[in-house]
This record gives sequence, structure tokens and C-alpha cells, in this order.
Amino acid sequence: MSLIEVGPAPRDDQHVKTKRDLHLRRRGGDRVVAGVAGGVADALGVSDAFVRAAFVTLSTVWGLGILVYMAIWLVTVDRVEDTEPEMVELQQALGLGIAFAGLMILLGTTGLWPSNVLVIIVGALAFGTAALTDRNMPGPLAALIDPTVEKPGRLRMLFGVALLIGGLAVFAANVGPLYEIGPVLLSVALTGVGIFIAFGPWVARLAIDLGTERRERIRQEERAEMAAHLHDSVLQTLALIQRSDDPARMSILARHQETELRDWLYGNAPLEGADLISTALKDAARKVEADHQVPVDVVVVGDHTLNESTRALLGAANEAMVNAAKHSGADRISLYFEAENGSLAVYVTDQGRGFEPAGIAMDRRGIAESIRARVERAGGEAHIDSEPGEGTEVILRMPVAAT
Amino acid sequence: MTKVYLVDDHRLFLAGVKAELSEEFVMVGSAYDVDSAIEEIRGLDPDVVLIDVHMPDGGGIAVVEGVGETNPDVKFLALSVSDQAEDVIAMIRAGARGYVTKTIEPQDLADAVRRIDAGDAVFSPRLAGFVLDAFAGAMPSEEDPELDQLTSREKDVLRLIARGFAYKQVARKLNISIKTVETHVSSVLRKLQLSNRHELARWASKRRIV
Repeated sequence: MSLIEVGPAPRDDQHVKTKRDLHLRRRGGDRVVAGVAGGVADALGVSDAFVRAAFVTLSTVWGLGILVYMAIWLVTVDRVEDTEPEMVELQQALGLGIAFAGLMILLGTTGLWPSNVLVIIVGALAFGTAALTDRNMPGPLAALIDPTVEKPGRLRMLFGVALLIGGLAVFAANVGPLYEIGPVLLSVALTGVGIFIAFGPWVARLAIDLGTERRERIRQEERAEMAAHLHDSVLQTLALIQRSDDPARMSILARHQETELRDWLYGNAPLEGADLISTALKDAARKVEADHQVPVDVVVVGDHTLNESTRALLGAANEAMVNAAKHSGADRISLYFEAENGSLAVYVTDQGRGFEPAGIAMDRRGIAESIRARVERAGGEAHIDSEPGEGTEVILRMPVAAT
Repeated sequence: MTKVYLVDDHRLFLAGVKAELSEEFVMVGSAYDVDSAIEEIRGLDPDVVLIDVHMPDGGGIAVVEGVGETNPDVKFLALSVSDQAEDVIAMIRAGARGYVTKTIEPQDLADAVRRIDAGDAVFSPRLAGFVLDAFAGAMPSEEDPELDQLTSREKDVLRLIARGFAYKQVARKLNISIKTVETHVSSVLRKLQLSNRHELARWASKRRIV
């Protein structure tokens, strides 16, 4: 036994991550305003959410963040395609964060500084939100429940929640009048926002997972149905072929299975109760193949419903095929059916030994007569064309009323 | 010697055909998928390409069209288990010069390759049936009625092919030369490729009932 590999050639289809380059380009696709923050994030190799938070925080200093943003916008070009840049190590990211904090402290010593409270509130809220907005994370509190989330992700979520709570606390402590007006309203709103941030992404992901699961289940059902069909048909035939030592029989089995499988694959399977002469002729041909182990090539042009006279035509065609299979010695038989201009024609042709129509033996004459009689009774005609060594052709014609 | 190239995503079948044809033809190469087939055929410039109708990524049609743009002299013979008429007709309309089923006898396949190489068309009984069906009974269009109909002689030739007769026998039955049979078949091929009859494109969906 040897194994033969069947199927398409294996392909190199590895996903290639592009290397980080320091050329600053704006992002083409995944952007909020002009793709500047995304572009900076790609160039630095850090999360774009943090870069956006940095721009927002910087903007509290008399709009400096907005100015820097627009300056970068002016001098950069759009990236054509979105690539996935390599992320830097946590250490480097922390370094960038500390450098940003240093910049803010430096700005605090200048006359531009608005107030500590404003910068701290905005910065804490911006970075807190950034820490929580990670596409791959299920949300801060859900992250603590979800076992698939890894440790750095959990830390990031906790960091984000702490920043948000801190920012909101500073905000609440400094907005006394607002706190007096509607403490209940404020707490309700804060709770709502908290729950949304905590569980919103998780719920969304659950919904997506459910859809995926349903599709997968449908696919599996289809696969099971196909497996059942293949088992009943193809595998049975393959088993039969393995046990058979007669090449002719093997070839017929294979051929029969091929036709059946193709009909099933391409949806040509005969419908229940669909009485068409094309289907009936194909079935008859298959039966002759199976019974006599001679392949029959069927070509059908046009079609007609089965009725009494077309059934006679079918019966005669069947007899002609059996006859050719038994007596001609040909290695294949052709069956051609055509419906045109109010008349049906069937040709059963073989390239076998043929015979002298005038001098045929009584039993064969009998078959020829029975073919002829059958068709003529139903109002058609039969013609048998043969010569010794030149094969045989039985031609049957049947007039039909055009529908 | 005639250079032959094979395209089939079914490797077992491909190996079998290669063995059958290698005595008589130079087998210059083979491919299992559309993209590498187009690239290699453009480089090797074979005389005849045997091509499977059904393949992933656009199938045989994609290869016939892709190669036709750069190497118009490469001739295609479609070879398939499919008996979906619309696929086969589409393949011929894309530029293939013949269609035979994979159950063809090795000797007949070699004949078909020789015929395609000589510039003739190769119609298997099944293709002849498809063509008769596609052209049957419809009215010719006004722009080019000649292209949209088969002559009665062409129909006679196709009917005999559909009945399983070889070109030689067709010629004898109609009292014409083999060359004339080939001319008729080539003319049918031309009509098949150039006719604007919309039935040809969409025809398979409806089966005609007399």
C-alpha cells in the first residue's frame, strides 16, 4: 500500500508582521481624527490609546496638544495601507510614560501652566480610559473574571480603574457646588458609566461569540450530513472495488458512483415524481451499465415529460441498450436523445461487431422485432442500421404534441 | 515534438494523464493551482495545455483568460468530470478549443491533443450535445444572425458526434472528407465563442421541453 497525496499544493501563507520604522506617517484606516496619534503610536510602538490620552492631557496647557497635533498633521503624509507594527517592551513603554510625565512637570514650572487640578483631572481620566480601551480586552471587571485574560492585561485594567476613580474623586472634591446640587444624580451617572466601561465590551464579545458558535454548529451539521452521504455511497463503492478482482466490474462501479456523486454535488439528483424522459433514460443507462458492465455514454438534448408513448420509446431504448451490451462486444455504448420540432429521437449506437440485417438469427430478429413493434404500436418508428464489422445503430422516433 | 502542459488540482489524475501521454508528447510541466499555472505557461510557452474546468481561485477559465492575454498561440483543451453545461460552455467561450470528459480512453485523449495542436477543435459527444442544446430552437438576434445559428450541415455533424461517432465515421456517413468535418466543427467553435446570443450565457438554468 502506498499513500498518495491528493490535494492542492501547500502554500507559504505565513502572516508577516511589518517591522517598526521610525518614519512618521499618519494612519490610513484605524483613526479618530486624522490618524496622527495612531501614526505616532505606530512609530513609537506603543498603544494608540495612550498616545491619544497624552495629546488630550497636553491640550490642557493652553491647547498645546492640539497645536502639536496639527503641526504633525501638516508635515506628514497618509500611510497607504494599515500595517501592524511591532510593539515595544513594557520597560520601554514605561520609559516613554515617565518622559511624558517629566515633560508635564517641566511645563508646570513655566508660566503657561493653568492649574494642577485641571491637568490632574483630565490626565487621570484620559489615561484611565486609555488603559481600559483595549480591543482585545473584555473590560476591566470582566477581565478579573475572564480566565483567558493574562496578568499584564489585568494589571493594565486595574491601573485604568484606579486612575479613573482617582480622577473622578479629585473632580468631585473640587466641584463642591455641583456636588450639592445633585449628589444622587451624579452617583447614578457615575455608576452607569462605570458599569458600561466595566462590562460593555465583554457583553459585545459574548454576542459575537454566540454568532460564531451558531455558524460553527450549522457547519458541523452540514459536515455530518455530507459524511453520512459519502459513507452510504462513495465509501461503500470503494469497499466493493477493493474486494473485486474483475477490472470491468471495478470500472463500472467507479463510473456508476461518479455519476451519482456528481448528481448529488451539483444538485442534479432527480426530484421525486419528476417524470422526465431524460432522467428515465439516464437511469436505464445506469442499470444497463451495472447489469452488463459496459459503459453507456448518455447525451441528452432537450427533454419531454413521460407519458404512454414516450414510455414505449423508453422501453425500446432500454431493450436496444441491453441488446448492444449483450451481443455487440463493443466496449462502450452511446445513447443520444434529442427533442426537436415535435418529435423525439433516440439513437443507441455501438462500435461492435455488427450483423447482416437480412441474415440474423431468429432470436435476434425477435428482439429487433420487439423493439420495432413496441415503438410502432405507440405511433413511432424504428430503424436498425448494421453491417458486419461496422457496429450497430438503433434509431427510434416518436412524434409528440408540442407543449 | 508537441509540448504539452497539464493543469489539474487533482494530483492523482494528473500523474495518470502524464504517464499516458509521455510516450508521444513532451510533457513540459504541470501545475495544481491557477496562479502558478498562469506563470509557468507564460514562461514555457507550450503548444497544448490540458486544463481542468473546476479548480479553486477562478478555475480553468482564469488560466485560459490569463494566458490568452500574453500567449495567444497556446491552445487549451478542457478536461473535466463536470457535466455542468454552463461551466463547459463558459470555458469554450473563454478560448478553449475543445472539451473532453476525464473518462476518455487514453488513445482518444492522445488523438484529441494531436487535433488541438493542429489547430482543429475537439468536440466530445457530450460537448456536441451541449452545443446543440444551447443553439436549439431560439430565434437569431438581429445584429448577426449568421453567428447565432448553426447550419443544418453543422447540426448533422454535431448529432453524429453526439451519437458517439469518430470524425472519420462522421465523414463517411455524410459523404464528405474528414477535412470538411473539421471545418464544420471549427466553424461551430467560432460561433460558440463569438455569438452574442444571451441564451448561451444563461441557458443552462432553463431546460427546454418540447
